[in-house]
Amino acid sequence: MSFWGQALEIARVDLTVERRLGDTMRIVLPFAVVALIVIPLALGSQRSIVQAIATGVFWALGVLFGMQVALRQSAADTPERRDLQALLGVDPAARFVGRVISGSILMTAFLLVLALAMALFYAPRLSAGGWGALALSTLLLGVGLSELGTVAGEVTTGLRSRTALASLIVAPLALPLIVGASQSVEALERDTGILPWILLLVASDLALAVIGVALAKPLEEATR
Amino acid sequence: MEAIVDLIGVGVSLGGRPVLRDIDLSLASGEVLGVVGPNGSGKTTLIRTLATLTSIDVGHGSVLGAPLAGNQLREVRRRIGLIGHQPSLIQELTLNENLAHVAKLSGLDPGRALRALEIVGLEDAADRRADACSFGMRRRAEIARLLLTKPDLLLLDEASSGLDDAANGLIRALMGSTTGRGGGVVMVSHDAAMITELTETVLSIESGRLGAAR
Amino acid sequence: MTRVRLLMSAAAIAVALGLWFALTAPPDRLQGEYSRLINIHVPSLWLAFLAFAVTAFGSVLWLVRKSHRWDRLAAASAEVGVLFTGIGLFTGMVWGQAVWGTPWDWQDPRLMSTAVMFFVYLGYLALRNAIDDPLVRARRSAILGVVAVVQVPLVYFSVNMFRTLHQTQSFRPDGSTMPREMVVAMLINLAAFTVLYVALMAARLEMARLEDAASPQVGLAGDAVRPPRLSEVEDV
Repeated sequence: MSFWGQALEIARVDLTVERRLGDTMRIVLPFAVVALIVIPLALGSQRSIVQAIATGVFWALGVLFGMQVALRQSAADTPERRDLQALLGVDPAARFVGRVISGSILMTAFLLVLALAMALFYAPRLSAGGWGALALSTLLLGVGLSELGTVAGEVTTGLRSRTALASLIVAPLALPLIVGASQSVEALERDTGILPWILLLVASDLALAVIGVALAKPLEEATR
Repeated sequence: MEAIVDLIGVGVSLGGRPVLRDIDLSLASGEVLGVVGPNGSGKTTLIRTLATLTSIDVGHGSVLGAPLAGNQLREVRRRIGLIGHQPSLIQELTLNENLAHVAKLSGLDPGRALRALEIVGLEDAADRRADACSFGMRRRAEIARLLLTKPDLLLLDEASSGLDDAANGLIRALMGSTTGRGGGVVMVSHDAAMITELTETVLSIESGRLGAAR
Repeated sequence: MTRVRLLMSAAAIAVALGLWFALTAPPDRLQGEYSRLINIHVPSLWLAFLAFAVTAFGSVLWLVRKSHRWDRLAAASAEVGVLFTGIGLFTGMVWGQAVWGTPWDWQDPRLMSTAVMFFVYLGYLALRNAIDDPLVRARRSAILGVVAVVQVPLVYFSVNMFRTLHQTQSFRPDGSTMPREMVVAMLINLAAFTVLYVALMAARLEMARLEDAASPQVGLAGDAVRPPRLSEVEDV
């Protein structure tokens, strides 16, 4: 099977498993929406404040809860399954790319639903272009977070405190993604040019993709 | 014909501890080798070393013609079949979906998955999720996987545990099929009687070293 | 050990000299006595980034060479780096509060990069601490080290972009108001802290080497399993 064939097959199976388990949409997403509701209550829920912080809260919660979505694939992986993939001759880089593809799709779906919840509860004043920028940034953020989550999930495989440790690893390294995503929306609203922020997101995603593919083999060896 | 396995002076350490020492082992085409040993003797590590999943620290060797320290291992791994302690099925997929997934990754026709399940007697459970199947059923599905992929080196680690007579018959058939194609089989277990019954050459392993069976 | 003692002595002298220059140079006319903190803050940040680069370097070399000494170098530099990153952040916050009226400037790319680096180091050390197997520990932390060295410059770049679009809120005195003697003192402290970094690294690497040499002879993994005492089953 070709490289892309392997990657797409791994992505397909990951998404099938997720569809049957439903962790992301049935557990993580409702939890994130609860957090979305709790924050205005903690701040005094004044409408003007809530509207002003809407997109910022969305990005913050999107990244923090999105990390759990990104990490759930490697949590479901067993040593036996990894051994089997190695014995089937699956290219480690194809495995990484497949994981990122499925993670990105899941992450984008998660973030878009969270954005809808944010729109309902916070009613931010965004133009049509602002919503478009939010959608595009969401996609790019999802890819980057999926890449970081895949690497962090692999280096913490089998460790006792893996969820917290993997989150600690992902969070600071996700900063360029958060800045790029949040500023792209603000830039569009201020009419100051969205392109640099989109390019920042693309650069970050590309850098992580290159690193992930380049380190795929040692990453696979590190989990055996 | 080249040896299927050829290990010379191989040592393996895990977690900083030596597990295997001075392993000299060769397996010829068509040969069935049994290794019997108590708990903690290094049987699983030996199997994983032969499967090229664990790196060697000392010595040298080759599996299916590829040096253990070389770069050709990914190609060679496709020709190795392993049944380990735990089944390697994806729990949320059905037995048929699991085998079809393996078939696709191996470049085989996924439609053959159902035929393999029929041979092992699981055609009625083909659409049952792996996590809804018993251990014995999952083990049979693994045998079906190996009937599909037809490995040249078959490695069995306590493969018969938890299996009924019919399933053990399948293991024998799988071994026969592998040697019939010119492949080799290595089987490890703590059960000396079973190993002696199923294999031609029996070695013992104790404290990480191989020796003649007692 | 002699080499480490010599380096430590040299570092102590260098740091003492640097502090003397820092305390005797005339203060900045705008920042006052708080300007002297720059002699710890700037060298600490310099060392933080140097240590980070060395960790990344050690990580790459480990992945290529698989030699234990590169892993030791990377780990030792990360430990020293955490210390200096923490000192840099703390002194920066004290200085910021005194001079800017706020301990934290969200629009300062260097501050944000340093803070991110601090947590990346912590994650790196936490990962190492969670793994017992030396080979697995070296491999996984080397991977994290390489990923971090790609992402942290992007952090700096992204916050810098952020700052160019948002007007800086408060007046920030820059180095041009510092007297020449203070600039000289800062440069001397930069050199002194570099000597300190080398000394601390030498000490830490020596400790690691001694720990490895003193490790008890590890027995065979299976030796812990003994035959059961079947005749004594009823005696429990």
